[in-house]
Amino acid sequence: MADRPVDLGNLGPDAEGITARMREICADLGVEYACYASNTTINGELVGLTTYPEEWRAHYLSQGHHMRDPTLTRAVHAVAPVDWSRLRNMDGYAEVFRDASDFAIPQTGLSVPIRGAFGDRGVLTLARRCSDVEWAAQKREIMQQVQLMAAQLHDDVLRSGQVLQRIRQPTLSDREKEILQWTAAGKSQQDIADILNLSSRTVEVHLRSARAKLGALNTAQAVGRAIGLRVIYPI
Amino acid sequence: MILIVDALNRHEFTDILDDMYRLRARVFGERLGWEVDIRDGKERDCFDDLDPAYIIGLDDDGRVISCVRALQTMGPHMLSDVFSDILDGQPPVRSPTIWEATRFCVDTDRLARGRGAGTIAHATCELSLGALEYAIESGITDVIAVVDPRMDRVLRMSGNGAYDYLGKTVDMGKVHALAGLLDCTEERLERVREMAGITGSVIVDEEEFRAARVRKASRAATLAQYFMDQIDAAQDSSELQAVLELADTVLGPVSARAVREAARADSAH
Repeated sequence: MADRPVDLGNLGPDAEGITARMREICADLGVEYACYASNTTINGELVGLTTYPEEWRAHYLSQGHHMRDPTLTRAVHAVAPVDWSRLRNMDGYAEVFRDASDFAIPQTGLSVPIRGAFGDRGVLTLARRCSDVEWAAQKREIMQQVQLMAAQLHDDVLRSGQVLQRIRQPTLSDREKEILQWTAAGKSQQDIADILNLSSRTVEVHLRSARAKLGALNTAQAVGRAIGLRVIYPI
Repeated sequence: MILIVDALNRHEFTDILDDMYRLRARVFGERLGWEVDIRDGKERDCFDDLDPAYIIGLDDDGRVISCVRALQTMGPHMLSDVFSDILDGQPPVRSPTIWEATRFCVDTDRLARGRGAGTIAHATCELSLGALEYAIESGITDVIAVVDPRMDRVLRMSGNGAYDYLGKTVDMGKVHALAGLLDCTEERLERVREMAGITGSVIVDEEEFRAARVRKASRAATLAQYFMDQIDAAQDSSELQAVLELADTVLGPVSARAVREAARADSAH
C-alpha cells in the first residue's frame, strides 16, 4: 500500500453508506473521527473515506499527506492495532501532525490494520482529543470491538465493489454450518457444545469465525444471512 | 525478556531477526527434521514476507533463545494456505480477534534442563507469557497454535496447554502437526506466571531496549578503543602479549580478534 497512492477522493459506489457507517462507529466507540483506507488487490480499487471536517480533508489531500501519513502507510503493515504514540519518530509523522494541530485535529489515535483472505489490506484509524490516561482506559475497552468493526467495514467496502459481488460466497466449514443450523433450531451455545461434544469456547470460536465470514454483527444476523445464502436450512 | 518485532520496527532489529531465523533453522531444520527452506543457515518461508509479528525471547546477552510468529486469521496464514490438511479440507477459522501462532520454538542447545532462570522450561513459559500478554493487549480472544505433538506436550506442561483442537493431527513429512486452541485470558496468564514464578510483564519497553542497545554498543566501542591504544603503547612483545590476553578475557575471543586485526591494519599504515 505504501508504494501506491491512496486516493481519499476516489469514493466507491456506496461511499455515502460506508461513511455513514463510520460515523456510527465513532458514536459507538466514543471517538471523534474515523478514516478508512484500503487497496483491494483483486480489482485494484483504491478506496479512502473519512469523517474528518471537509477543510482538513481537502488540505490533507492537497498536501499529499495520504502518501506519507504513517497512521495509514505504516500501520497497515502491522498485525496488532497501532497506537499513534508508536509512530512519533517515523518519517512523515511530524509533517502531518504539525498540520493537524493547525486544524485542531486530535493527535491521539489508533490505527487498526485489516487483512483480507485475498491478500488485500486496509486500515481503519480512530482519533479522539483526550488525556493519555483516559485514552489508555478507552483503548483497552474498545480493543476487541474496533477490530470486529474494522473487518466489517472492510467487508462492506469489498461488497460494494462490482467485481467482488460475484466471487464472494462465504466459505463456511461443515462445523460452522452445523453450529449455525443448531442455533437456527433455537439451541444455546452450551446446548450445542453438549450436542456436538465440544467445549463451549470452541463453539464460540466457530461462531466468531462464521460471523466474520458472513460479515454479521451478531449471531442472529449470521443465521439470517446463512439462511439467505442457502448455507443452512430455514427451520 | 520478550521483544515484539513487526513491520513497523523490524528495520531496527535486523540482527535479532537474523539470529531468530538461525534458531529456527537449527530447531526445525536440524533437530525436528521438518521440510523447511534453509539459506545461509537461516530458515524463512513465504509467511515471513507477509509482515507477521514476532514474539522473541532474548537472554541477558541479547541472544535469541525463543520465538513464535503471529498472523491474523482474516488474511493469508499457514492453516489457510499450507497446513490445510490439518483441517481435513475444511475452510479455516477466520476472525479479527483470533490469531494464528506458528514456528514456536525454544533454543534447547543453549539452555539448561531443570527449573529456574536460564532453563528450557523457563524460556518456554516466558515466551508463552509474552505471546499471551501481546495478544490480550491487542484485544485477541483466542490463538490457534500450529505445533507438533512434542511442543503441544511442552505447552501443556508449562500451564499453556490447548483447551481444544481444530481438525486432526496430520503427517507433515517426518513429523505430525496439529492445531491447538489457546484462550487469551487473564486466567491462563496467571496460570503460566505461577508455573514459571514470574510476576509482572515479560515484554520489554521498546524505548528502553533501544537505549540499552545504544549504551552497550558505545561501551563496547570504548573498550575496543582502550585496547587499541594499549596495543599501540606496548613497548615489547611481553607487554603486547599481556594486553592481548587481557583483551581476550574482557572482550571475549571474537571481539578481541577483531581488535587485534584492527591494530595490525593500523600499524600497516
